[in-house]
Amino acid sequence: MKIVREALAGTLESSDLMVRIAPRDGELAIVLQSEVVHQFGAQIEAVARDCLARLGITEALVVIEDKGALDCVVAARVQTAVSRAVDEWTADWSALS
Amino acid sequence: MTDDLQSYTIDPEREPDEREDIRDLLAKCGLDYETGVEAFVVFRRKQRLMACAGLEKNIVKCAAIDPELRGEALGLKLLTEVSHLAYERGHSHLFLYTKPDCVEFFRACGFYLLAEVPGLVALMENTPIGMKTYCDGLKRLRRPGAVIGAIVMNANPFTRGHRYLVERAAAACDCLHVFVVAEDVSLIKYRDRYALVAEGIADIPRVMLHHGSEYMVSRATFSAYFLKEKGLVENCCTAIDLLIFRNHIGPALGITHRFVGTEPFCRTTFKYNADMRHWLRDDVSPAPAIEVVEIERTQSEDVAISASEVRRLLAADDFNRIRRLVPAATLELLETKYRVPRSSAA
Repeated sequence: MKIVREALAGTLESSDLMVRIAPRDGELAIVLQSEVVHQFGAQIEAVARDCLARLGITEALVVIEDKGALDCVVAARVQTAVSRAVDEWTADWSALS
Repeated sequence: MTDDLQSYTIDPEREPDEREDIRDLLAKCGLDYETGVEAFVVFRRKQRLMACAGLEKNIVKCAAIDPELRGEALGLKLLTEVSHLAYERGHSHLFLYTKPDCVEFFRACGFYLLAEVPGLVALMENTPIGMKTYCDGLKRLRRPGAVIGAIVMNANPFTRGHRYLVERAAAACDCLHVFVVAEDVSLIKYRDRYALVAEGIADIPRVMLHHGSEYMVSRATFSAYFLKEKGLVENCCTAIDLLIFRNHIGPALGITHRFVGTEPFCRTTFKYNADMRHWLRDDVSPAPAIEVVEIERTQSEDVAISASEVRRLLAADDFNRIRRLVPAATLELLETKYRVPRSSAA
């Protein structure tokens, strides 16, 4: 799938995260801000990258403002942001879990 | 939600009762109610207004939380709602003005500092990479030289005076970067302004023309500039715009000098030029000082050429005098696209 517009998902509340996704040519860039970036930054980014790979997203700018979200929440918010940023959802939901 | 906290959006023009409550809350927080806010997010609990935040296009204004009710992370909820509201209204890149002592608070809400005037005001944006991405783009256009100049012009519209300023400045520089203010709220549309500048200075050597950005003389960095056409010039805040230029844009391009024309007519521009010396050159920033060079305006029959004068003549439909102040391309555009219909002419 291709990211064709900017989209937003999630909240800034504790245990959640806000994900912004935007079109970007030629690269998949993830910018992560988190209060627990030293303990879990690599893990959060890995979950986001895995989620994007499963959705077939190879080009995008993803900015994550994390507030201590669990992995499943990270994946859910990333999926939702992508669903709002593409023209047609072609991924298989059941293959994402 | 588990408690009885209610949040909803209001249009302050249509809901005077809400507006008055918001005015009271802002006053309690030492903030003014600002006109121009198109929508407010409000939080109430048992009828009591607890928090609010307004949006004027992509600028968050009038954000406040009742001082007695702080400490329950309402701010995160508030800024979440504002972000989603702005997104629904087509704005993803947001700016926020606040007091410097609230910068930490908004940092936790996903906003990042762009510039701060100590004790007075700070401007933040809702991305950690907005300014960096912009400056990385500028760095690729960096040119070597001892004297690197910059001009930021609105060119509303492009006059012989702009041409003269660019010629004079370019002669003094190894490279001159010219930016056209991109905000589309001026009389002359940005596309037209940019095209006229491009055509009007194409033959001047050592000049690089740039599109403006939200980081220079935009509604976000310098909202008062655009009020001048509405006759609302007050003691406007130029410092943020100039500090962003000094701290970010100047270093990205290695700018050593900024050139401006003297301003005899427009008070906003006059003040901007005066403030420029202080914020770009004086010891108010860790970034290198940028010398400000004011170039005397060129004159036409003893009257200094100025875009504001051209707009005044345009409103009066005085094309004979406009002709002396602008190049042919500008004249043609004004005649075909911006001529004011004269109802009294018939």
